[in-house]
Amino acid sequence: MRINVLYYSREAIDSFRKNWVMSLAAVSTIAISLFLLGVSTIGASVVNDMMTSVESKVKIDVFLKDTAPPAEVKVLQDAIISWPQVTKIHYVSKQEALDRLKEDLKDDPEMLKQVTGNPLPASLEIWVKDPRMVTAVVEKIKQQPSLNSLVQDTTKDIKSGQAVLEKLIAIRRIMNISIAVLLVLLGFASLVLIANTIRLAIFARRKEIAIMRLVGASNWFIRWPFMLEGILQGLIGAALAVTLLAVGKSVVFPQLKEVLRFLPIAFTQASFVRLVLILAAAGVFVGLTGSSVALRRFLKV
Amino acid sequence: MVKMTHVTKIYAQDKPALKDVNVTIEKGEFVFLVGPSGSGKSTFIRLLLRELLPTRGDIFVAGKDVIHLRSWKVPHLRRNIGCVFQDFKLLPNKTSYENVAFALEVIGRSRHVIETQVPEVLRLVGLGDKFNSFPDELSGGEQQRVSIARAFVNRPPLLLADEPTGNLDPGTSLGIMSLLNRINRTGTTVLVATHDREMVDSMRKRVIALEAGKVVRDQQRGVYGYED
Repeated sequence: MRINVLYYSREAIDSFRKNWVMSLAAVSTIAISLFLLGVSTIGASVVNDMMTSVESKVKIDVFLKDTAPPAEVKVLQDAIISWPQVTKIHYVSKQEALDRLKEDLKDDPEMLKQVTGNPLPASLEIWVKDPRMVTAVVEKIKQQPSLNSLVQDTTKDIKSGQAVLEKLIAIRRIMNISIAVLLVLLGFASLVLIANTIRLAIFARRKEIAIMRLVGASNWFIRWPFMLEGILQGLIGAALAVTLLAVGKSVVFPQLKEVLRFLPIAFTQASFVRLVLILAAAGVFVGLTGSSVALRRFLKV
Repeated sequence: MVKMTHVTKIYAQDKPALKDVNVTIEKGEFVFLVGPSGSGKSTFIRLLLRELLPTRGDIFVAGKDVIHLRSWKVPHLRRNIGCVFQDFKLLPNKTSYENVAFALEVIGRSRHVIETQVPEVLRLVGLGDKFNSFPDELSGGEQQRVSIARAFVNRPPLLLADEPTGNLDPGTSLGIMSLLNRINRTGTTVLVATHDREMVDSMRKRVIALEAGKVVRDQQRGVYGYED
């Protein structure tokens, strides 16, 4: 059996060298496909992280008129906290709002100088259990009868992070769909190219195959070198893709962090290892499928 | 060793290659299969190798039911049948030693078996001094000897030869035939398809004559018998 493994590998590598142009085409197509798969995986993970971070920050702000009677504010506050969707409610006084602004602008004294008096309204901050409940809660607040005496404008003065979240969801969906389409096309191209290289390899060795059949080599003995060749192409493609991804990650991530300072952008070592394994498996799968197709069509045993 | 009953093979409509052939070949026999081109000799041989399946009839080779053999078992059938062809079918980039060794390698024989059996069989066919020659450095007769060595190295119980002397001159042919005869005397059943009249007449072996797909004659110690 040991001899056989050596024999198969030697045959596969030999054939790879002989048909290197076709092999190169197949390998680079696989590399590109797998690279895109990797980019989309990393991208999806980053967008997901961003979404989780945004989701946890999603709250509803109800900005109050300066003339709002404190007793009515208290009534509204008590009503809202009794709703099952709501986890927390906090009253932000005009003073607290100003303090927060000063805290935010402490690195920017020029801007701070512009702030005179207190132009900021008081507000209610409302947190909900699940970001998907935000819209419903906003609607419910709008239906409160006391609202008109507390709020200037019911559409402008009730704000939520819902819009940002929806934008992120849309971005993720478009990204996923376009990459999926691209992946299907490239995957198909890889399959065809691998099948074609294997077909050439079979053709180049048809005499040997005929003799192998004649002297009674088992079907799998004849097939294995070609299967191995396909797998080899898949694996080399995967290796190229991983190299590209590693380089790309180390170049792009620091810049991205620079630009999006307020969002956590990370792709852990463990996730990267998992991604490498997935890409290798995908490479092997494409290689195996491509060579099986070629064997079924062109190698009668 | 070989048993065919009511075997009919039809390739195209209404033009059978073999018609209701009944043949039994016992273990250890030496048989000539003769007939003009297109009489069905090659079909006969390809049926035994299960490269083809008959349209009707039963075929047994070395005790195996060839027709109902599962396809993954076909290689094992072929290991029991040595095969020699008119065009030798040698690999040009391998020496005679490597060509013979190849047949053992691909059925998974150990290196030890290969190293003992290959030189032995090459000496048996009279190529003891040509181990490292490539096919294009050998004469036609020598190439055919390599191909016989390859067919016989695994000691199959049955050896098929399809026109083994078709490309060779009469003197060389005689040498090949006497080699096949010697292999036959080791107990191997030998079936030779040929239209080499002189050979058949001089050997006086069993002759099965095919004509338009039918067995027209089957005689012990026969002669070629056609005036073509």
